[in-house]
Amino acid sequence: MPQPIRESALPNNLPEDLKPLAWLRKPDWPALHKKFRPWLQFKVIAGGGTLTLFVLLAVLATFVSPFDPNRQDLMMAMTEPQYFSGPHFLGTDHVGRDILSRCIHGARVSLVIALSVVVISGAVGVFLGVVSGYFGKTTDFCIQKLVEVMWAFPPLLLAIAVLAFLGQGLAILIMALTLQRWIPFCRVNRANALTLKEREFVVAARSLGATHTRIIMKHLLPNLMQSALVIGTFAMASAIIAEAALSFLGLGVPPSTPTWGGMLADGRTYISTSWWMALFPGMCIFVTVLAINMLGDALRDILDPKLKRSGAR
Amino acid sequence: MIAYFIRRLVGTIPVILMISLLVFLLLHAAPGDPAEMLAGDQASEADILEARARWGLDQPVLVQYWRFLINALSFDFGRSFRYDESVMGLIAERFPASLELAIFATLLAIAIGVPLGVWAGSKPNSWVDHVGSIGGFFGISMPNFWLGIMLVLLLAGSLNILPSSGRHTFGVPDDPITGFLLIDSILGLNWESFKDAMIYLIMPAFVLGINMTGILMRVTRSSMLETLSEDFIMTARAKGLDERSVIWRHGFRNALILVITVVGLEFGALLSGSIIVETIFSWPGIGNLLLQGLTARDYPLITGVVIVYTSLFVVVNLIVDICYAAADPRIRLAK
Amino acid sequence: MAKNSAARRKTFLAALATAALTAGIGEAVAQTKTRVSIGVTETIASHNLYADSVSLMYAVFCQSYGCMFDRDYAAGIYVSRIVDKWEVKDPTTWVFNLKRGVKRSNGEEVTAADILHSINRAKNDAQSRQKHNVRYIASAEAPDPYTVVMKTTEPLATLLDFLRQLIITSKAQHDALGENADREAPLGFGPYRIRQLSVDNFVALEKVAGHNEVKPENPDEVIFRIQKEAESRVTALLNGEIQIAQFIPPQLVGRVEAAKNVKLVWEGSTEIMFLAMSPKQKPWDKKEARQALAYAIDRDAIIKAILRGQAERLDGPIGPGQYAYDPNLAPKYTYDPKKARELLAKAGYPDGVEIDFYTPVARYIADKQIAEAMLPMLEASGFKVTLKTPEWGTLWSNVQKGGVPFYYMGRGTVIDPSAALSQYFETGGSPRIGYSNPEVDKLLQAERQEFNEPKRIELLRQSMALITDEAPAHFMWRHKLAWGIAQNVDYKPLATTDILAVDIKMIPRQRAR
Repeated sequence: MPQPIRESALPNNLPEDLKPLAWLRKPDWPALHKKFRPWLQFKVIAGGGTLTLFVLLAVLATFVSPFDPNRQDLMMAMTEPQYFSGPHFLGTDHVGRDILSRCIHGARVSLVIALSVVVISGAVGVFLGVVSGYFGKTTDFCIQKLVEVMWAFPPLLLAIAVLAFLGQGLAILIMALTLQRWIPFCRVNRANALTLKEREFVVAARSLGATHTRIIMKHLLPNLMQSALVIGTFAMASAIIAEAALSFLGLGVPPSTPTWGGMLADGRTYISTSWWMALFPGMCIFVTVLAINMLGDALRDILDPKLKRSGAR
Repeated sequence: MIAYFIRRLVGTIPVILMISLLVFLLLHAAPGDPAEMLAGDQASEADILEARARWGLDQPVLVQYWRFLINALSFDFGRSFRYDESVMGLIAERFPASLELAIFATLLAIAIGVPLGVWAGSKPNSWVDHVGSIGGFFGISMPNFWLGIMLVLLLAGSLNILPSSGRHTFGVPDDPITGFLLIDSILGLNWESFKDAMIYLIMPAFVLGINMTGILMRVTRSSMLETLSEDFIMTARAKGLDERSVIWRHGFRNALILVITVVGLEFGALLSGSIIVETIFSWPGIGNLLLQGLTARDYPLITGVVIVYTSLFVVVNLIVDICYAAADPRIRLAK
Repeated sequence: MAKNSAARRKTFLAALATAALTAGIGEAVAQTKTRVSIGVTETIASHNLYADSVSLMYAVFCQSYGCMFDRDYAAGIYVSRIVDKWEVKDPTTWVFNLKRGVKRSNGEEVTAADILHSINRAKNDAQSRQKHNVRYIASAEAPDPYTVVMKTTEPLATLLDFLRQLIITSKAQHDALGENADREAPLGFGPYRIRQLSVDNFVALEKVAGHNEVKPENPDEVIFRIQKEAESRVTALLNGEIQIAQFIPPQLVGRVEAAKNVKLVWEGSTEIMFLAMSPKQKPWDKKEARQALAYAIDRDAIIKAILRGQAERLDGPIGPGQYAYDPNLAPKYTYDPKKARELLAKAGYPDGVEIDFYTPVARYIADKQIAEAMLPMLEASGFKVTLKTPEWGTLWSNVQKGGVPFYYMGRGTVIDPSAALSQYFETGGSPRIGYSNPEVDKLLQAERQEFNEPKRIELLRQSMALITDEAPAHFMWRHKLAWGIAQNVDYKPLATTDILAVDIKMIPRQRAR
């Protein structure tokens, strides 16, 4: 059986430009397959593919959407989906705005909300968790009390209160959704940090005189990223749903910004007469959340089988 | 056990205190003043000032909080500005409805999610598994207000098999004993009233529990998968134990602890989700009142309800911890 | 409560013993009673009669406890169950003679002392939200049990419009039971009595047997159920859970029309919808800018597309049927974007101006949708708009402080426009718009103090013409309200949206062959 040629196995005196070509000509399929096999499953492909599609749509929204999402045409209000027989592929809403264009632009806002919520709460949660677990004592006590208090607050209620009282706006919405989502990050990472700090490499680093900052940055954080990633996917899904729920209560972002949640809340009023107004943004939310959840599920299986036990979904 | 219980209960007191302070500050920092909101559409400036003085809103916030604390010690959360009734009385009247809904939703979620998960997990990659998995994801990804309105249109509208909203047919239940209609009707041996309460309860409860159902299904499934591949199951099978016993006696018991965890974690979300579900189904629970209270800036009502919600959440988590110990003897309570 | 629980225990034991029997009897009784359930959208705030100020509850209390006056909207007159006749002694003194023998359901007669007591409660009850109804009453006396003499703080031609919403409660009951009188002794002289009330949930009325206003075809029980969600209100109507559904929104009218077991009934409304522009803030300090806005909006298009024809455009503050309506009122604002741009340029904004537009959400019919539809119209006339939809608590609080420059809102139950005009446009009326014009003030004051009706109508018309021209508010429309009513119920809704149980009649089911 001929040995597959590996890049590292090539003689050093070969012309430079041949190396990649050789790799291209004879890729090491079995090795590659082995390396990436866990990723080659339905959940990852379907979930990742869908998400990529939505992200692309969001980024290219201005180029791909057929209309300005806020362009109205009262005379064309509540046109049924025309598919390929007219300009409004998915129909229009109550003031004659194109649903498809709004769905595409809505992806932008909804994904921005979801991503910012996850990034901010992830950063805050991981940081506090590591600090709490690594330093222990009073720091730990204070942070854990904060966790306890925030966690016991009914989630939707806190968001409602913040939005009702601080007013509307993307930034405030993101803040309201972040308020409690950092907690799972904090809890899991504290637990991980607690075990990690007793491990040999950390003890060794400390005895070599490494500063706390260095230990946290170089030794703890990289080891915590995987679990954070998994929690992040689920937090992202729940943020999208929460945005929709707040829009339902009239507390979402201002109406001129198209979001899926806002569209869904609008569509609810017309649900029995103009089904398309609620169905399509609803589908967008559902498919995206589904994709994120599938990806998260797969990530968990691949990266961190331990998490399954802790009940973080 | 009892010492542990008491220690945990005492430990929750600072948490509840902190939350009440948080709510208090949040409310007072908010724009809008209950006196303005409630003095009526045509009230004059003087009316508003007078209302403010009457409710003590002209005092510094911390003085108000102190007064609130003193009263709260005797479980008196004051009088609702909006409803002119004692907050405790309102909670006692409405909370059973919310709690009945939340508990029934949880039970329904367990009753649907867990068996589905067990079934799917015991037959990996069969059609049951695939259909179940999609169903589980469906439950997790479904905004419940959307499902709620869809079901009203379908089950109450087109099919007309369930009532669209409310908690019971007017005049059907007898004198309430506990406030939980299902329990009341059982105590009163009143089949008619039980049936009535049930048909009103089933749809909102299903909607409220949909997310938990999905999560429970997924979690049970993966736990089953994991357990069934372990050595002791092989041994059990090799011993000739029939498949049903293997699944239920061994596989399920291991999944149980996860189920308890998930219920504990998700109960808070479910409880606050009930605010939306109660609005859709005109369910006469506390969530409905709370929304009205928020709009009217009814400080005593909001604070009281939040404290009750929080306490309930804390208690549920305590129960969860005790259930852990019951389900898994290896876990000791006193830590 | 203690008494109740003992009774409950007894019921419980009895039920255990004869469960099947009681159930059977309960059903038999329920079948003979007629019941109408009504899905309503407002709120039920309290057992305390004076602690509520929504029109639903005014009507509920008026037909159970009883009230001083009622307005017959169609005939344009005030009617009263307890006042026989009244006269204006001098511009600040009114004398009311009460009917004799008006009795509450427990046999107690309604006397002048009850009226004084009721005024006192509206004025001084700790929870009262009805102070505005008695604000102008300086003093009230009862020289004898059937006469009430009221002195007003200033000459006030519109006193009856304020007294219209004065609920009459019993002094004797209040003396005996104190604060709990409202809850424990819901006694009144109205044709129905309150059987049960659950805040923000439902209120159940039952017919008072033998009352002279009730007829056999009136339902024995009327239940007002709060159902805010329009879809479920309509669904409940269609499958017979309720018999009357208030406010069918435009998009659901088709669903009700298509159903066989219900009918759709239309009625106008006395709520005026308007856009308020606070002259305290730019650009609304310029009359031209305000007028420009009025010309910029195509109200007919909005009525057609969003409200599906279910509104009457308003030219001026009020419309036909409301007191002192003037069909020839000028100016009339038509849709004219060109003129709007010219006026805006005249106001000093040739390149347009940035404005914030506030609207409540789901408080009025299609409020947010209407606001959205206005955006391109405003943009086309040079207004660069940011639409804001704050939560109602925040918005309302800011409106009442006068902090909102430009907003969409409604003023309900405008029959005689005097109070509403004064509230929004008179200096010191309220800070909501912050408009102040000595000329308008003078007209409104004169109008209130004018007892000669034709003269008063003339003054009102002048003030409304001036307000329309000055345009601190642009009056939009009055909604036409659609009510869904079951086929076996006969009911003609009122423009005031008050629901009176005596107007509801059961149509006997046609006997099978």
